[in-house]
Amino acid sequence: MPRPQRTGRFSEVDDPERSAFRPQLTSLIDMMTFLLVFLIKSFSVDGNIITPAANLELPISTAQTKPRVTTSIEVSKTDVMVDGRSLAKIVAFINVDSLLIPAVYQWMNAQHSLYADSIEKHEVLIQADRETEYAVLKRIMFSCSKAGFTDFTVLAQKKE
Amino acid sequence: MSSPSFVKHRPPSEEAAEIDVDVSPMISMFLILLPFLVSMAVLTQLTILEFGLPPNVSAGLAAGGGEMPKLKLTVVVAPQFLGITFGDRLLDSLAALADGTYDLDRFATALKSRKMEVDANDEVVVASRDNIRLKNLVAVMDKCKSAGFARVGLSSATEDPRAGE
Repeated sequence: MPRPQRTGRFSEVDDPERSAFRPQLTSLIDMMTFLLVFLIKSFSVDGNIITPAANLELPISTAQTKPRVTTSIEVSKTDVMVDGRSLAKIVAFINVDSLLIPAVYQWMNAQHSLYADSIEKHEVLIQADRETEYAVLKRIMFSCSKAGFTDFTVLAQKKE
Repeated sequence: MSSPSFVKHRPPSEEAAEIDVDVSPMISMFLILLPFLVSMAVLTQLTILEFGLPPNVSAGLAAGGGEMPKLKLTVVVAPQFLGITFGDRLLDSLAALADGTYDLDRFATALKSRKMEVDANDEVVVASRDNIRLKNLVAVMDKCKSAGFARVGLSSATEDPRAGE
């Protein structure tokens, strides 16, 4: 009697010892191989040491400097934030003549006093939305500089 | 006379079709590797752009005044144009494009040629008007860095150039 041919996803075998369910795994392995290659390509030993706030669209830059851990301040479309906590609403200070944002100044001053060598200059990382206007940034920079932070970095998405 | 055989012999082609590779270890390895790699994958590469306050501002804040700062090449970023100035001289001016962006390649070429003419040619100040978006500022600062300026300062550009007189 001729053996039945394999017809598709499951083998039709009349031998009772070989009638176990045998799924076709080729497509699964293909998919996993593609996934593996893609993930190895985007693998980074360092990872990102900074996680930008979820609602920020960062500007795109060709700079090659890797982010470093430092005092950070986030500027969303509506708020100036620190560690996800709102320090000041943009609408509250954008039309005020004074460049100083008291809440930002107080917080940055507190951060500056944490450094043992607080006479030295320190750096602030600004994580701001790409649509943020300079009028907002200059008030933040002014408040930071009054607290002793005169070097700034802005977080950006690296251009491929 | 040949002895009767109890072993069923199949044709060689059919024997080959029956060989099954055991893929279970491979799938197990994939299942361990994939979650690990997914957790370590960096899908968005981040970078930082360094800048400072212009020397006269930061020095003024730190020491309350002092000697006069050296004159530096200044890039004025306004909604209508990009200007390159040195002191009170306007060296170059590029009009903004219709969509509000700038011709940054032309700007980079102009900046490189002006860089050779000034004394402090490792520093540039980007002076921005209030309503300029961060994405445009970052693009301009990127071009300044790529033109060979190691230090970039960011300051405000007055709406009225004669305001300080």
